[in-house]
Amino acid sequence: MTVRKIEVRERVMARNDELAAQVRARLEAHGIAAINLMSSPGAGKTTLLERTLAELAEPLDIAVVAGDCQTQNDADRLAAHTGRLVQAIVTGGACHLDALQVNDALDHIDLDATRLLIIENVGNLVCPASWDLGERARVVLFTVTEGEDKPLKYPKMFEKADWVVLTKTDLLPYVPFDADRAVQNCLQVNPRLQFIRVSAMTGDGMAEWFDFLRRSVGPLARA
Amino acid sequence: MHELSLAMEIGRLAEERLGPDVARCVAVGVEVGTESGVEPSALEFCLEAVFSHPPWNGTKAVLTRPHGDIFQVTWFEIEEDDRPQD
Ligand SMILES: Nc1nc2c(ncn2[C@@H]2O[C@H](COP(=O)(O)OP(=O)(O)O)[C@@H](O)[C@H]2O)c(=O)[nH]1
Ligand SMILES: [Mg+2]
Repeated sequence: MTVRKIEVRERVMARNDELAAQVRARLEAHGIAAINLMSSPGAGKTTLLERTLAELAEPLDIAVVAGDCQTQNDADRLAAHTGRLVQAIVTGGACHLDALQVNDALDHIDLDATRLLIIENVGNLVCPASWDLGERARVVLFTVTEGEDKPLKYPKMFEKADWVVLTKTDLLPYVPFDADRAVQNCLQVNPRLQFIRVSAMTGDGMAEWFDFLRRSVGPLARA
Repeated sequence: MHELSLAMEIGRLAEERLGPDVARCVAVGVEVGTESGVEPSALEFCLEAVFSHPPWNGTKAVLTRPHGDIFQVTWFEIEEDDRPQD
């Protein structure tokens, strides 16, 4: 037996990137802005979205894709706040969403009636960073109970992000968390990052978050 | 632990590329860049699992670790049938 060697150069992420480009083109064709919302589990993605849908679901024509390892609890929580469609993706244990899942989810959404698509990714500060979903902006939620050093420990997530939302700021009086140092750590990893500080519980800073979303959307394609 | 999905994607793209040769593939070379966000030992463990099931045949994964964020399959080794051709 002899062994024949075949030289190739096949990027492992190539297929996901192709599908992400497809998602991006599809959204672009409908004038939809997509936001990929990521964080560690429990940082407050679903709570922030609940507040967001209650306020802006209709005005901004928001559709949501909610990914979870198991259960569709988040999609159910979100659907309670809007008559608009909330599409659940159960990854069956997988630690991130991929572009194929998002592309399939788009089949269930009335794209002509949507201006803003918010994707709640699986709670995880590592894996989702590697998967382009076809989004226009990446937003990382960073909770004041996580410790200021998380951007340094999980640099890829912050490197690839556009915005950081510092969440649960109502807890600041109770934890020794230095918000300014947390911001510095973020900027050390990625100097282009922009920041919003919110408490979904007290509503503090939510206006700024809503403004960010309003600025993100264009006119409705079907108008 | 996204290494399992990455290992499965490597299996998928290799099968697509090799066709029926996949059963005679003895080794696969993968470059896992230091900035790729991929954990080589976890990937190796997952590839071992993928490569132990048909159409794979106990194929060996050979991981190298160049600098940068590259993450790609670079070669396949296929066992050739040495029967004389007529
Ligand atoms: N104190 C406080 N708790 C919050 C806030 N936002 C979310 N939580 C709580 O944090 C927990 C996790 O929130 P959830 O939205 O499910 O996080 P997810 O896993 O990122 O979707 C829940 O118990 C929420 O009630 C906040 O602004 N302040
Ligand atoms: Mg959630």
